Amino acid sequence: MEMRLLSWINKHALFCLGTFLLLLLLAITFAGPYLPFVDRELTTITYILNEDKKPVIPPYPPSEDYIFGTDKSGRDLLSLIILGAKETILLVACITVLRYVLAIPLSFLAHKKWLGTHLLLKWLNGLLSYIPTIIIVMLLAMLPPFLLSECRPLFLLLIIALAEMPRAAEMIKLEFDQISSKEYINGGIAAGSSPYRLFRIYYLPLLYSKLLVYMVTDLGKVMFLLGQLGFIGIFISQDFVQSMTGDWQLVNNSISWPMMMIKAFEDIRGPIWIPFFSAFSMTYAILTFNIFAEGLKSFFTRKVRYI
Amino acid sequence: MLQSILKSTGVFMLIVIGFILILFLPREKEVTFLSAFQIEADYPFSFELYLERIEDFTDHILTEKGLGEARTGRPVSEEAGIFVARSLKIVLPAFIFSMLLGTLMGAVQFHRRTKFTGKLQNFLSWMFSSIPDFFLFIAIQYLFILMMQHGLPHFKLYGHENWYSFLLPLISLSLFPFLHMSRFTSAALENEMGEEYVRTAYAKGLGDFKALLHMLWNCWSPMMNQAQMVMLYILSSLPIIEKLAGYNGAGKELLFSISSNDEIKALSLMLPFLFIMFLTIILSQTAKLWLVQKERV
Repeated sequence: MEMRLLSWINKHALFCLGTFLLLLLLAITFAGPYLPFVDRELTTITYILNEDKKPVIPPYPPSEDYIFGTDKSGRDLLSLIILGAKETILLVACITVLRYVLAIPLSFLAHKKWLGTHLLLKWLNGLLSYIPTIIIVMLLAMLPPFLLSECRPLFLLLIIALAEMPRAAEMIKLEFDQISSKEYINGGIAAGSSPYRLFRIYYLPLLYSKLLVYMVTDLGKVMFLLGQLGFIGIFISQDFVQSMTGDWQLVNNSISWPMMMIKAFEDIRGPIWIPFFSAFSMTYAILTFNIFAEGLKSFFTRKVRYI
Repeated sequence: MLQSILKSTGVFMLIVIGFILILFLPREKEVTFLSAFQIEADYPFSFELYLERIEDFTDHILTEKGLGEARTGRPVSEEAGIFVARSLKIVLPAFIFSMLLGTLMGAVQFHRRTKFTGKLQNFLSWMFSSIPDFFLFIAIQYLFILMMQHGLPHFKLYGHENWYSFLLPLISLSLFPFLHMSRFTSAALENEMGEEYVRTAYAKGLGDFKALLHMLWNCWSPMMNQAQMVMLYILSSLPIIEKLAGYNGAGKELLFSISSNDEIKALSLMLPFLFIMFLTIILSQTAKLWLVQKERV
């Protein structure tokens, strides 16, 4: 029994590593806030006295008291990151799911060449292969109708999801093209299935494993994009408030990871640990998603091969 | 040959127009002074305004016979030239470095694929390609700062004035495309393994190295297709890395001009980027046609 388990683990080493890292990430996200060393109140510190009884104001560098250091209002960075994990992961997951919910029908329509969708998809991909995604998101996110809207977070989610949607749709379209050459599809057509039924029963079940791999890979990509947007100062959960002078200002009320990079360009010349540790946690998440995706891929291909 | 270049040129023109259309969507603020104590700021957004802005832009181009003068008084194109030249110092080496060394590294990795070192290299290159470039950059900065506190001679980590300023951004920008190229090359070579000509090459008594050369020659076509992706990746990450490094190049200025609604300047900085992408595509297509005389079916 033990031998079989060991050999199974050996065979799916990457899958096991990925699952372990993912479980760790989820544990930090959901159980992390209840750990004893996490300051759930996020208490701020105005100053502490050093050895010469002189007040020192935050941020404090990493030390024994604060493993990751503190931010500018003296909040423990480790606690901030652990508490912010839930929001960050949730955002990333929402964007990815939204992207694929839109991409799957579009790719099927493009595969069927319905009303020129395949041309639209080709054109969109051409545009995206020239202009960096981040520039497009930046240009669209600053548009007044989205900027001033009550549901700005929703619009931003949609923009970021749409930004790389054509790329995902193109990938799935290729899969559809491949499947459609298979013999049993003809069987389905001969049996008189409607296009919807063909899509649901003949095409999709073959794609589940591949879609899962694509989606997990995209989780990492979305996290990367959110990080980049964080440096520019575009966040999803931001409030837009009109100040006394009539100017609109973005006010932060969230503790998601990209938000900690808002002052990265100043922080990098001083308290560099603030952007470092938020970028570090993002890197950990991206690495986890990539390893898990790769593990899933090898898991599925092996499973198919040994049937 | 000519046909494919013409087609790419057409696509390029369409994309430039598409970009201009997105750029000139109305996004400017309108402040109305109702009284001394009451000000209203509004962001009007209507189709008429959009048309008006595009007309203004075409008028501007026609009357100025170019992009006109910047807010500093110098011609926009001249100003953009300075920034673009500075950025090219990073972009071009990063591109050449990742294409050439990536291919070489991929060939080495393929050669050692069954040995332990090859497997280790494969794993490491895969692992490192998951690291976002901004984290790499911050991590290197942090490392240098900590080392300077412990006695490393001091040097400037930020800015664009020193001769070595472009090195750090260059390294963090090249890592991902380099690893991508190396993994792609080794995968493409692996695909060739099943081909008949490889067996013939070995049967004729050619060594591993000569056979590898044969295989590389047959991989040019898919590898040249990667040039566009490598360039796009470099250009996408350039603005953030330049901003983090305080390196005053076109990427950093582009971010600034977009966020301050300076469309003409944004356009003057974005056009060279689009043109670089266009050149990359044309050059890689030409190189493909020249290197691969006949497309294998």
